[in-house]
Amino acid sequence: MPKVYNWQIGREMEYLYADARPKKQFAMVMDTNKCIACQTCTVACKTTWTSGRGQEYMFWNNVETKPYGFYPLGWDVKVLDKLGVQPIDGAIYKGKTIFEAAPEGERVLGYLPDDLDYAHPNLSEDDSVGSMTQGAFMQMPHMQWMHYLPRICNHCTYPACVGACPRQSAYKRPEDGIVLIDQMRCRGYRECVRGCPYKKPFFNSITRVSEKCIGCYPAVEDGRQTQCTVTCIGKIRLQGFITTPQQAREDNPLDYIIHVAKIARPLYPQLGLEPNVYYIPPIHVPPAYLKQLFGADVEAAVNGYRKAMDDKKLLGALLLFGATSDITHHFKVTDRFAIAYNEKGDELVRVPFKEPIYLRPAFDEAYQTVRSNIT
Amino acid sequence: MKGIMKLLYCAALGAGLAGCAGTTDTAAPATGAEEKPAVSSSQAAHYAALMAKPAPAPEGGVTASRVSGTAPMLDPFAKEWEQVKPVTVTMTPQVVATPTNPKPAIGDLSVRTLHNGQSLGVLIEWKDATRNDRLVPDRFGDQVAVEIPIAYRSDTPPNPMMGAPGEPVNIIQWRAAFQADLDRKREITIRDNYPNASNDLYPDQFLKAQDVRSYTGAAGVDNPVAKHRDSPVLDQVAEGFGSLTTKPHQEADGRGVWKDGKWRVVITTPMSAAGANAPRLNPGENTVVSFAVWDGSAQEVGARKAWSDWVPLKLAK
Repeated sequence: MPKVYNWQIGREMEYLYADARPKKQFAMVMDTNKCIACQTCTVACKTTWTSGRGQEYMFWNNVETKPYGFYPLGWDVKVLDKLGVQPIDGAIYKGKTIFEAAPEGERVLGYLPDDLDYAHPNLSEDDSVGSMTQGAFMQMPHMQWMHYLPRICNHCTYPACVGACPRQSAYKRPEDGIVLIDQMRCRGYRECVRGCPYKKPFFNSITRVSEKCIGCYPAVEDGRQTQCTVTCIGKIRLQGFITTPQQAREDNPLDYIIHVAKIARPLYPQLGLEPNVYYIPPIHVPPAYLKQLFGADVEAAVNGYRKAMDDKKLLGALLLFGATSDITHHFKVTDRFAIAYNEKGDELVRVPFKEPIYLRPAFDEAYQTVRSNIT
Repeated sequence: MKGIMKLLYCAALGAGLAGCAGTTDTAAPATGAEEKPAVSSSQAAHYAALMAKPAPAPEGGVTASRVSGTAPMLDPFAKEWEQVKPVTVTMTPQVVATPTNPKPAIGDLSVRTLHNGQSLGVLIEWKDATRNDRLVPDRFGDQVAVEIPIAYRSDTPPNPMMGAPGEPVNIIQWRAAFQADLDRKREITIRDNYPNASNDLYPDQFLKAQDVRSYTGAAGVDNPVAKHRDSPVLDQVAEGFGSLTTKPHQEADGRGVWKDGKWRVVITTPMSAAGANAPRLNPGENTVVSFAVWDGSAQEVGARKAWSDWVPLKLAK
């Protein structure tokens, strides 16, 4: 099998195809600390792309409550269980990826979910890890915890769906790294559904072929961010493009957050796909669990996020979340503003670090009435 | 992939495919639109097929007697079939290309052939305790396929494992799910898969046809496996693993019936169809056929199948 370099695990690894990084790589950063699981992203995606026949229980975007929420049921714990306990400490991952752990005669280590695993997309919503005892009171860190995990396709650098498909129906676009399933070529074998550890390709039982998140490519081609990003009311998402750590550009907000400030981490990097959706980890969740989810460097990411106030550039990049519907390629920080630019260098938006405060008199002379809100 | 599996796989697919050391062109597929087969050396493919040691073909092969009329071509229970002695074809696990199927559920097929000068009919029977024609995320369908070389030369038959570049084969696949659609006489709906399902409204119920396209997936681009068909078989051509392509003009046909724990399927194809990708079958001449079969209840699909070596086929005058 060809060897490819996966920077997230700090080493070369086996993959079904040789290294062929796209010209640009679609990427997203999600701040889990700001997500309230309102599912606006889910509904935006659903109405945009998956309200057709055979897509009734298909959610290209979903938000689940961790650790007990899953869509499909148990997706991550099942893959981790199949992979077995792996050493994940250190900058270089010494365990096996799902490509290296593929059983004899298989292309990747995977499993096919049961039909009913998709039947409860919001199972365990808001469930925490345990119940509170009588007389319990609020402590830090919290005695019981949970967090929300919004998920789309990771548009991986080394996609398992692409590797698993025996007839090259799944492919990665060289222009933007978006991973797609060719709807003309797919024959519904479901090797991608079986192979993808994130379970983001879905089988459509009416068209009888597989479908997946298309990274809103018509919008992205037009310089606009995805539906799940622009509709997010909590402004937790930023979608754009990412480079490798060696080529990181400080004026690209995604590069700055991921490669320079290093506060966002990929989901299950140990599986070896180099996923391109990055998460700012939930800071109140025990580090042991976060490590399993986001890899060995997760504590540094949490600490970096806690100190975001000290890094004006990072703060500026974080201000761009939900500030424009266009894709930010460059950004600049001035005394008062974080300014976003598109690929051509046109200004998209400037966001003030401090919102101006206007104070109004408590009594409105014109209307002869008392104001209840004076700011 | 390791050991003998890798050797077989690489030999089968030649030097141009992923997973094989020393390759020059192993980049990930850039676009799925291309229908080019991902294979190269036919010699290597043939070598691998030999290494895979297919079960021997039945001695004497099969003979297609000549009948008059079209009755047996689409009726698996036509009385003409009773006059033909069935031949047992032993199936071989597919272990050459990944993903493999080392323990296939179906061990052998019972095969009969007939022709009427216009069409060749192949009647295939096999034991299958469950009828699998409901395709939902974790359920697969029963399927059977007949393979015929496009241009048969007795000294160098093409690779029986889906042909090779320059050695195209015609693969006609019958699918139980298509048969169920036809028997239902209408397009499938969610209630056929889930009887108690309900859905308020689909985009195609309130949008104009030109606006619905983005909600119709594979059906909207006329993917031959996605749209409602007037035949339960796919008429296809292949030049090696991963290259199977449905022909623009579908000329083969068939019909399958599941009864008493047994599938009885007839697949029929014109003996001289138009186009470069159709085999020429002349009465009085010899060719070869081979078979593949999938048991849906064993999650067999695609490469997870059982296959047979070429079986000599005599077409009576």
